Amino acid sequence: MSIERSEKRLGAALAAPALLWTAAFFVLPFAAMVWMSLGHMEGRAVLPGPDLQTYARIFTDPSLAKGIRVSLEITLTVTVLSVLLAWPLAWIIATRVPARWRRLALLLAVLPFWTSYVVRSYSWALVLGEKGVIMNALTGLGLLAEPVQIMATRAATVIGFTHFFVMLLTLTIYSNLVQLSPNYARAAEDLGASRWQVIRLVILPLTLPGVMTGAFLTFVLCIGDYITPQILGGNNELSLPQLIMLQLGRRGDYPLASGLSVVLMVMVTLAYAGCARWLKMERV
Amino acid sequence: MTFRMQTLGLAAAGGLLSTTALQAAEDLNALIWCDHADAALLEPFETAHDVRVNVKEYEGTAAGLTILEQSRPGDWDVMVIDSVDVARAAEAGFLAPLPGGAIDTSATFPEVALTDAMTVGGQLYGVTEKFGYNTIAFNKAAVDPADMASLASLWSGKYDGRIAIYDYYLPVLGLVGLAEGVDTADLDAAALETLRDPLMGLRAASRQVSDVVGSQTALATGEVDILIGGGEWLTAVLHSENPDLDWTIPEEGGLVWAQAMAMVEGTEKPELALEFIRYILSPEGQARLATSSCYWGMPANKAAGEVLTDDEKAVLRWNDQEAYLARAQLYPVPDADTDMAMQDLWTDMLQN
Amino acid sequence: MRYLSWAYLAAMFGFILLPVAVLVVFSFQDGRLPVPPFNGPTAEWYAKVLGDRDLMAALGNSMLVALASSAVALTLGFLAAAGFAQARLPGGALMRGLIIAPMTVSYLIIGLGLLQMFNWAGVRPSLMATGIGHVVINLPLCFAILSAAIGAPQKSALKAARDLGAGEAQVLLLILAPMIAPSLAAAFFLSFTFSWDEFIIAFLLTRFDVTLPVEIWSMLRSGLSPETNAVGSLVFLVSVLLVVTLELTLFRKASK
Repeated sequence: MSIERSEKRLGAALAAPALLWTAAFFVLPFAAMVWMSLGHMEGRAVLPGPDLQTYARIFTDPSLAKGIRVSLEITLTVTVLSVLLAWPLAWIIATRVPARWRRLALLLAVLPFWTSYVVRSYSWALVLGEKGVIMNALTGLGLLAEPVQIMATRAATVIGFTHFFVMLLTLTIYSNLVQLSPNYARAAEDLGASRWQVIRLVILPLTLPGVMTGAFLTFVLCIGDYITPQILGGNNELSLPQLIMLQLGRRGDYPLASGLSVVLMVMVTLAYAGCARWLKMERV
Repeated sequence: MTFRMQTLGLAAAGGLLSTTALQAAEDLNALIWCDHADAALLEPFETAHDVRVNVKEYEGTAAGLTILEQSRPGDWDVMVIDSVDVARAAEAGFLAPLPGGAIDTSATFPEVALTDAMTVGGQLYGVTEKFGYNTIAFNKAAVDPADMASLASLWSGKYDGRIAIYDYYLPVLGLVGLAEGVDTADLDAAALETLRDPLMGLRAASRQVSDVVGSQTALATGEVDILIGGGEWLTAVLHSENPDLDWTIPEEGGLVWAQAMAMVEGTEKPELALEFIRYILSPEGQARLATSSCYWGMPANKAAGEVLTDDEKAVLRWNDQEAYLARAQLYPVPDADTDMAMQDLWTDMLQN
Repeated sequence: MRYLSWAYLAAMFGFILLPVAVLVVFSFQDGRLPVPPFNGPTAEWYAKVLGDRDLMAALGNSMLVALASSAVALTLGFLAAAGFAQARLPGGALMRGLIIAPMTVSYLIIGLGLLQMFNWAGVRPSLMATGIGHVVINLPLCFAILSAAIGAPQKSALKAARDLGAGEAQVLLLILAPMIAPSLAAAFFLSFTFSWDEFIIAFLLTRFDVTLPVEIWSMLRSGLSPETNAVGSLVFLVSVLLVVTLELTLFRKASK
C-alpha cells in the first residue's frame, strides 16, 4: 500500500512540470482571451465586460459572419479534396510500388514539406499567376487563348492548401495501410471478391482511422491558417484568421480579435467531437 | 543520447539568455515603416555612433498607437508616423517634444513641412522626412494615358477587371472622396457614407485588393494595368524592369503622403534619438531614405538633391514636384470614431 | 489498372513537386521578377542572401528557438510520460487530456492568448516568449510519442531497476531513456521541425529579433524579388540533405 502511494506521488511529481507548463502557458492565456472577448472597444479604448457586445457584433456584422462561412467552406473543400487525392496516392505507394522503391516514393511525395511554409505558399503564387508557369504553358501550347485568373481567387487558396494537406494525409494513410495485414485482402479474394470490392469493402474501412486522423489535422491546421489565404487569396474574401489579424494589425481591437478566436476554437472543438471516435491523438 | 540533447538544450537556453545580455551597450529602438528597415540606410548611423538600431515595422497609425499603448516607457525611442497624425499622437501623450532648433528644417519643401500641424501647445513634435503621392499608377502600354487624366475612368467600365486597389484605407478612401468631389479635409463620418456605393463600385470593377508586393507583382506582370493608390513609391522600384509603368495626378487631384520622424515619450536616450533624426534628415540620410529598398519617395530636404544621381532624380521626377504639390491634397485626418468607421467600411469592401 | 496507377503517381508527383521546382529554377533568375520568361542563370540572389545581415541573424534565432524549445518540450514530455507510466494517477485521463489539448488548437489562438497574457504581465515580446509558445505546441507531441513508446517491457524494466535499489534519476536516465532512444530522437526531430517552420506564434510574440519565417514574411511584404526564392531554395536544400542523412543513418538503424 505504502509503496503504491509513494509510486503515485513520484508519478505525479514527474508529470507536474508538464501540467504546470500547460496550465500557465495554455489554459491561463486562453482564459485571458475569453475574458478579453467579453469586453468591447469604444473608440480607441477597451471597455472590460463582461458583456456580449463583441459576440453580438460577430453574428450581426455581415462582413464578420461571412468570414466564418468563408473559412468553413474553404476548409471543408480542402479536407475532402485532400482525402480524395491522397488516398489513391498512399495506396499506390503502399501496394503498387516495388518494396525497395517504397521509401523513396514516400520521401518524394512529401519532399516539399522541407521548405519553409511561407515560401511554399509564395511559390504557388509564382506558379499560378497570369504570367506564371502554368498559364504560360497552356497559352503557349494553344490550349488556352487567354490566361484565366486563378491567383487572387479562392481557387488559388484551395490549391495551395490542398498541396500541403495531400502530403500530410498521404503520410497518415500510408502508415495505416502498411500496418494492415495482407491476409485481409487475401481472405476476401479467396471468398470471391473482385479487386474493387476488396478495396471498397475491406481496405477502405480499415484505413478509416488514418483517414480521420489526417482529416482532423487538416481541418484544424487549415481553418486556423493565415498565411495561405493571405498570400494566395488576394484579399478578395477574408477568412477568419485574416479577419483576426486585421483586427490586431490595423485596428488594435483585441476584444473583437479574441471573440473571433473563440468562435474559431468552438468550430475546431466541434470538429474534434465529430471525429473523436476515430481519433487516437496519442498515436498521431 | 538524451544527455547530449539536454546539454545541447541547456547550452541553447543559455545562449538565448546571453543574447539579451550581450547586445551592444547602446540600442536605439525604432517603430518604423518598411523603408527604414533598409540596412543601407541604417548602417552609416550605426557605425558612426556604435549603436544598434532595432526596428519594428507597423502599418497604419492606429496599429502604431496600439503598440505604444502596450509598451512600457523606454521601450521605444523614435518612430515614423504620418505627418498629419503627429498632432493626435502628441495630444494622446505618445510623443516627446523636439527641442527648439534641434533639427534644421530650413531646406524642407514648404508644402510638406507641416510645421503648424505638428505643433501642439507651442511645441514641435515631428519633422517631415519623406513624401510622395497616392494617385493612379498604370501601365502606359496597356491603357490610354489620356483616360488616366480623370479618376472617373476607373468607374467607366472600360477597365473593369484590370484594376487593383492598394490595400490601405486612408489614401484610397481619400481618392474615392476626390472622385466624388469631397476634399480630404471634409471627410467625416457623414461624408463617409456617401462613399460606400462608389467604393463598392470600384471594388466590383477591380480584380484584387493587394498590399505592396501583390500590387507590384500584378502591375509588373500585367495581371492588372491600373493601381489606384499607387504612385512613384510603387513604380520607381520597378522602373528598370518595366519602363512602361507610369503614374499621374488626375484632374480631380491626388493625395500627397508625408511621413515624419518623431521622438517617443519616455525615451531614455533623447540625445541619441535626436542624433538619429538629424541623420535621417541630413542630405546623405535623405538620399538613402529616398531610394530605400522597400519603396522610393521624395526626400523632404531639398539638399538631398546634391547627393542623389540625375537618374534617381529623374525617376523621382524631382523637377515636377512644384506642379504636383500644387494639385495634391493631404491625407484625411479622421478622429478615433471616424477612423474606426473608415476601417469598418474598408473591411466591408474587402469582404463583399 | 497498372497503367492508371502509374499515370496517377506521375500526375500527383508533378502536382507535389511543381511549386518547389519553380521556386528553385527562378531563384537563379537574372532580373527582379521571378516569373517567366527565364532570363538566364545568375547566382546573384544567393550571394545577396548570404550577405544579408538580418536574414542570417534570423536564421540563428530560429536555430536557437527551435533547439531550446524542443529540448524543453522533450524534457517535460519525457518526465510526464514516465510519470504516467509509473502509476495510475487519480484523474489521470483528465491530466493526459490537458497535456494533449494544445495539439487540437490552432496556433493562432495559442499565439493570441499568450500575447494578451504577456501584455498584461508586462512581458515584452521576445525570442524567449516565442520559445515558450513553441514548447506549448510541441509538448503534447513529445508526450504522445514517448507515452506510446513506453510499453509493458519498459515498465517491467523500470520496476526491476527500482526493486534493485536504483535511484529515480538513474532509472530515468540510464534505464528508460536508452530503451526509448529512437522515440526520443523522433520526438526531438519533429519538435525541431515544427518550431523551425512555425510562423504565426513567432510573428505575434517577437519584436526586434525575429525568426526565419517572420523575416521571410517581411521580405515578401517589402517587394517581389528572386531573393525570396533563393532563401526558400537554400532552406529546402539544407533540410533535404539533413533528412536524407538522418534517413540513411539514424532511422535506418532504428528500424532494423
